[in-house]
Amino acid sequence: MAIKKGLFKTSIGRKNLMAFTGLFISFFLIIHLVGNLILIIPDSYFPIEFWGNVANAHDMYNAYSHFLVHFWPITLVAWVLYAALIVHVIDALLITLNNNKAKGDKYQVTDNSTSSWYSRNMGILGTIIGIFIFIHMAQFWLQYKVLENEHDLYNLVLATFKEWWVLVVYEIGIIALGFHLVHGIESAHRTLGVYPKRIMGIIKYIALCFGIVMAVLYAIIPIILYFK
Amino acid sequence: MKLTLKIWRQENAKTKGKLVTYKLSDLSTDMSFLEMLDVLNEELAVKGERTVEFDHDCREGICGQCSLVINGQAHGPEGHYTTCQTHLRSFKDGDSLTIEPFRANSFPVIRDLKVDRTSMDHIIQAGGYISSFTGMAPEANTIPIHHNIAESAFDSAACIGCGACIATCKNSSAALFMSAKIAHLAKLPQGQVERAERVVWMVNAHDDEGFGSCTNTGACAMVCPQEVPLLDITRMNYEYNKSKCTVE
Repeated sequence: MAIKKGLFKTSIGRKNLMAFTGLFISFFLIIHLVGNLILIIPDSYFPIEFWGNVANAHDMYNAYSHFLVHFWPITLVAWVLYAALIVHVIDALLITLNNNKAKGDKYQVTDNSTSSWYSRNMGILGTIIGIFIFIHMAQFWLQYKVLENEHDLYNLVLATFKEWWVLVVYEIGIIALGFHLVHGIESAHRTLGVYPKRIMGIIKYIALCFGIVMAVLYAIIPIILYFK
Repeated sequence: MKLTLKIWRQENAKTKGKLVTYKLSDLSTDMSFLEMLDVLNEELAVKGERTVEFDHDCREGICGQCSLVINGQAHGPEGHYTTCQTHLRSFKDGDSLTIEPFRANSFPVIRDLKVDRTSMDHIIQAGGYISSFTGMAPEANTIPIHHNIAESAFDSAACIGCGACIATCKNSSAALFMSAKIAHLAKLPQGQVERAERVVWMVNAHDDEGFGSCTNTGACAMVCPQEVPLLDITRMNYEYNKSKCTVE
């Protein structure tokens, strides 16, 4: 199969790149969520047997994060993820610039009843998520993985979420993420050309469920930690 | 009935336009929207003012020549109707209507509400056709086509090329217009010869004409007078990606 150049260059090609990177990041979201749900396992479940040792939430979470940072295949996938995020952002900017150029003069009166607000404002939602990711990475990724200031990630997470403004920032970021996913997952499949009507109907439903489930599960973590 | 019209008046593509307010009274609810504009133009002509220019041809909803964005909606409030098939009974007595041209960078204003939609022709010229010997039409049953496929192809072929999808799209993308032709021909046996090349040619022409990317908001299909399915865009993306991945 000869993949011609231009698969990522035309108006459809650039959207392909958005779809591929977006779906990859969405897949990461599932893994990231599962790992961090350890944080909210109730104390009554501990101590549990964990790889032959008796462990509590603290030990389990720290062992999990130690594994993520020191297991090289995961480091490799992490680099792909960083690249996907950067490509997703740059591609979005290029598409938006081109689309703004394509637009003519503004309408004096606009009627937006024909589409959902979040499908029209993916760029704004994406910007909110981008700012959120920046804060999120500065709080944990930078401290734990890059600067290695803090070796007990569980305690760092718990201390961070005791601040009310952190809770607010996270909830805003997560709500934006939920709406971004509902449109993004459906749009990505449309872009990649999943056209049978019945399958598209199912994907639309999956996108809605995925966005809601991700947002709700991510949103409860900071709330529980704040009151813990 | 009485209506207040705020109409976009613009001398040509180089000058700036503005909304001008006109008041009309003694209108019948049975009038079509374009007949109402005819009444306005008659009044303007009597006064010696320049009449409002707008596109129209068949006035029976099949030619795709009429345009207009009425209160922010392409072809008016009815949805899946052309402007010429929109009647004044769709509005209330005393309503104020803002009437603007179809706006997109690739649709330069010719005058007032008239825009140049030639860029859409360029997309069709790039590949929206089949290569076939001329002559007598072949016997209809020589190429059997399943009824469902014929119906589906006809849903796409129904596009009248009015450009409401482009005028509505927040990115001024011609994806629905272009995909209607690509899906129509991809579904039928006659379209198979250029199937792989057609989509690439047309997408390249689309980009060269300065249209934007589709972001799948679905607004286009909501205003399309012919109800061209949104799924045609997805079908076009499939055809494009398949062509890019398989054609040598």
